[in-house]
Amino acid sequence: MRTGDTIPTWEVPITPTLVVSTAIATRDFQDVHHDRDIAQAAGSKDIFVNILTSTALVERYVTDWTGATGQAGEIAGIAIRLGAPAYPYDTLTFTGEVGAVEDGVATIAVTGAVSLGNHVTGTVKVRVGA
Amino acid sequence: MSGPTSMSGHDAIMAEAERIKALGEAAEREARDPVNQPTINNWLEAMGNTDPRWKAGEAPPSMAQVWTMYGQGGKPPADDPLHGMMKVLTEAGYTAVLGTNCEQEYHRTLKVGEHVRVTTALDSVVGPKTTGMGVGYFVTSRNTWYAARSDGTSEVVATMLFRVLKFVPKGAAAEEAQG
Repeated sequence: MRTGDTIPTWEVPITPTLVVSTAIATRDFQDVHHDRDIAQAAGSKDIFVNILTSTALVERYVTDWTGATGQAGEIAGIAIRLGAPAYPYDTLTFTGEVGAVEDGVATIAVTGAVSLGNHVTGTVKVRVGA
Repeated sequence: MSGPTSMSGHDAIMAEAERIKALGEAAEREARDPVNQPTINNWLEAMGNTDPRWKAGEAPPSMAQVWTMYGQGGKPPADDPLHGMMKVLTEAGYTAVLGTNCEQEYHRTLKVGEHVRVTTALDSVVGPKTTGMGVGYFVTSRNTWYAARSDGTSEVVATMLFRVLKFVPKGAAAEEAQG
């Protein structure tokens, strides 16, 4: 893994099934992640992806790439800033680029964008060995 | 937010923040279940994650938080620092909440059969700030997940810094925020 390596773009279609199944699989039963009527009454356009899933999809984006390219990819940390909500019928598009590689840890900058703007921006730290 | 009323509201909020911060790591609780393959499998299916590594007795790192989620109908304990601070701000009129930052660090992967527990500490309360969403306070908490070693001592396996904006939605009367 080298500074400047880019990760191929990954487009995730956001469906109601994705939002609901991932919320429940992360044991997050907040109603805004599975009940559209309640989400809309609370001022949202629709149900929306929960934070644990945003983190998990960032994780998968990086490990799918390290796996496919045969690179060491032990995830040491994921730090995300949350922006626009990810609603059903939108597409979450991930892009990523390797920043510093120091002391056996690579820092990868990842952005996940939806039609409203960036849903997540952040960094993933990957242990790549000395 | 400059009148005497709002200042006393702010002072009361920050006094509560200091009291709760001083509790340190609190509200310790155990995961409902040990790390287990069926829960991992459900998560893998939902995420579309096909990494074969997670079919063989290890949990994906970002599942650390999943093990200690409250579950359907679950509520934070009364002494939970984040819950306590949120309550203070809600009562002061900062009724809306929005997650802004989530920073997780994984010391190692968890293995099937391990039973984790988590503590919560209040890290900082900063505000009032004017944001695109409205006026509010940024509340940062820190979770620490532990697993037991075979000798009975505990090991930190993951940590999370979580920041929310607790705010008065735009359009709501500003006086509400002054409690």
